[in-house]
Amino acid sequence: MMDFNPCMKHQLIRKIVREFAENEIKPWVSELDREARFPFDIVEKMKPLNFFGLQVPKSLGGAGLDTISYVIAIEELSRVSAALGLCVTVHNSVGIYPILEFGSLEQINRFIPALAAGDSIGAFCLTEANAGSDAGGVETCARKTLDGYVINGTKIFVTNGGVCGTILVFAVAEGDPGCPNVFIVEKDRPGFMVGEIEDLCGMRANPVSSLFFEDCKVPLENLLGKSGQGLKIGLTALDVGRIGIAAQALGIAQAAFEDSVSYAKERQQFNKPISRFQTIQNYLADMATQIDASRLLVYRAAACKDRGTPFSAEASMAKLHCSETARKVTDMAVQIHGGYGYSKEYDVERYFRDAKVTQIYEGTSEVQKMVIARSILTQPS
Amino acid sequence: MKMLKIIVCLKQVPMVSELPWNSKTGTLKRELAQGMMDPCSRRALEAGLQIKESRDRKGMETHVTALSMGPAMAEEILHQAKALGADRGVLLSDRRMAGADTFLTSLILGKYIKKEIPDADLVICGSQTSDSETAQVGPQLAGELSIPAIGYAIDIQLQGQKARVRRYVDDFQETFEMDLPGLVTIDQGAYTPRYTALGGLQDAFDEPDISMVDAHMLGLGHDFNALKDSPTRIIDVYSPTTQKENKVLKGAVKNVVDQLFEEYGKVISHAMGKDLKTHDHGEVI
Repeated sequence: MMDFNPCMKHQLIRKIVREFAENEIKPWVSELDREARFPFDIVEKMKPLNFFGLQVPKSLGGAGLDTISYVIAIEELSRVSAALGLCVTVHNSVGIYPILEFGSLEQINRFIPALAAGDSIGAFCLTEANAGSDAGGVETCARKTLDGYVINGTKIFVTNGGVCGTILVFAVAEGDPGCPNVFIVEKDRPGFMVGEIEDLCGMRANPVSSLFFEDCKVPLENLLGKSGQGLKIGLTALDVGRIGIAAQALGIAQAAFEDSVSYAKERQQFNKPISRFQTIQNYLADMATQIDASRLLVYRAAACKDRGTPFSAEASMAKLHCSETARKVTDMAVQIHGGYGYSKEYDVERYFRDAKVTQIYEGTSEVQKMVIARSILTQPS
Repeated sequence: MKMLKIIVCLKQVPMVSELPWNSKTGTLKRELAQGMMDPCSRRALEAGLQIKESRDRKGMETHVTALSMGPAMAEEILHQAKALGADRGVLLSDRRMAGADTFLTSLILGKYIKKEIPDADLVICGSQTSDSETAQVGPQLAGELSIPAIGYAIDIQLQGQKARVRRYVDDFQETFEMDLPGLVTIDQGAYTPRYTALGGLQDAFDEPDISMVDAHMLGLGHDFNALKDSPTRIIDVYSPTTQKENKVLKGAVKNVVDQLFEEYGKVISHAMGKDLKTHDHGEVI
C-alpha cells in the first residue's frame, strides 16, 4: 500500500522550520521586501541550524538530510519568505550539489565545509544576455593556460549574486564552443566583480545581480568534473535545482492559500462572511486541490532522487506544476482579498509578485515541457 | 567525579487553541490534534541542557534523560529533545495510563524514576503546561519521590550536591539553597529555549535512544485504569468565546446618553471600578 503520510522525522522538520521562520523571519519580511534588503542578521541565526548544508554529509558539517526533508524545509521557509527560501534552495542545490556530485575529494574538502556552514554563500551562473533557455548560446569563455584558466564574460540574473562567496561558472572553452565547462570561482579572485543588484518585481530581498569575469584566473584544480563535462553538470544541477524551486513555489502558494482562507472567513459582505459565497468557495477548493497535487508531485520527485532512480522528468513536472499553481493561487488570493489584496498592507500582493518568477528561473515552464516531452518521446513504446 | 543525573519531564501538548474535546470523558482527543513540545517543558529542557553544557566545559559528566508520558505520538518530542541535546528519551505510554489526572501522572512518573533512575540528582519540570495550566505535576512528583522542590525558578546553579535556585515572587527575588536530589520547576518566562538544529534532528533519528515503557513494565496491576482511578475528573472544558457587536445609538444627545447608561451602565461601572449613579434629571456623576 502506498503511504501518503509523512513520517515522524518529516513532520518534525516541518514544525521546527515553521517555528523558526514564523518567529525570526516573518516579523521582517515586509520590510526586507520594501527595502530590497538581504537579511544578514537572520542568515547568522540560520547558520548554526544547518540551513546552509541541508543535504551535505555530517562529516563535512552539514545536516545530512534526505531530499524530502530538504523540500519540506524550503517549502516552510518560502511560506514565510520566498526570497530567503530562494537563497537557501539555490545555495543548497545548484550551489553545493554539483560540487558534491562531480567534485574531486580535494574540491569537496576545500569548498564544502565553508558552504555548509553558511560562511560562503553559493551561486550558479549560466544565464547571459544571449543565453538562458538556450544553454548552447553561452559566450563566457575560459582560456586554458599552463597553470589554469582565464575566464572572460558576463553573467546576468544571478541569484545570491550580491552575497555569493563560491560561484559555479558555466563557460565554454575559448575557440571551442562545443566544449562547455563549469569552474568554481571564489569571490576574491582578481578579475571577478559583482554588478549592481537588480531592481526586480519580486524576490526583492534576494540580491540578484550580474557577475563580471574580466581575465579572472583560476587554477587548474578549480575545474569541476572533467573538461567538456559542463553540460552534463549543468543539466544535473538544474534537475536538482528544479525540485527546490518547486518546493519554493509550493511554499508561496500555501501562504497565499492560508491567508485567503482566514480573510474569507473574516471579511463580511452582504451581511455574511465572503466564505459563505459559492464563488469564493470555488476559489478555495481550486487552490487547495492544486496545492495538494503540487505537493504530491514535488515529494515524488524528491523520493525518486532519494531512491537513486531517475528524477529529471519528475523534477520538471513538479517544477512546472508547482510554479503554475503558485501563479494561479496567488492570483486568486489577490482576487479574494479584493482591493486590499492589491495593497502592500496585505502579504498577498508580495506572494503574487514573488510567484511569477518561479515560472521563469531554473528553466521556464516552456522548457520544463520540453524536458517532459523529451522524456516521453525517448521512452521505448 | 560522580556523574550528575538529570531528568527533565516533558509533555506533548496540542499545537492549536481550538481543540477537539471528548465531551464524554472531558479529555482532549489528542489523536486529532497536532502535537508540540509544551513551551514550558522546553524551557525546563533548556535549563537541563545549560547545566549539562556548563559542566561539560569543566570536564564534569552529566546525563540528561528526557521523560514523557503520553500517547505513542509523544515520541516525537523525545526525538526533538534528543536533537536539542538530551542523552536519551523515555516514553511512558499505555492505553491503561490514558486519561490520568495530575495525581496519577505524578504517581506514574514517580514510579518510573524510583524503579529505573533512583539515583537521579535533579528533576526539572516546566512550572505548568499550556494545555491545562495546573502547575501540579512538578510539586506532586516531588512529593511522590520524597525530595524537596522549588517552583517557578528562573535560574539554577549547582554547587556540589546543592542547587542554588532563584525565582521571582511578586516584586521580590528569592534565592534558595536546596540539597540534591531535588526537583525544580521552571518559570514560563525563564531559560529562553534554543531552536532545533536540523543536523541534530537527523542525528536523533539516525541514533534513536528512546525507550517505551508500558503499564506492565511499571508494575501497575492488571486492573489499573487511569481514567477510572484518577481521583479528579474534568467535568467541563470549553473554549471561551468573545462576541463583538456594533450598535449605533440614534437620536438626540441626551437620549443617546440615557440609552447608553440604561443598557450599558453596569458594564461601564464595572470597567471603571465604581458605581455610576444617575440623578433624576439624567445627569451622570
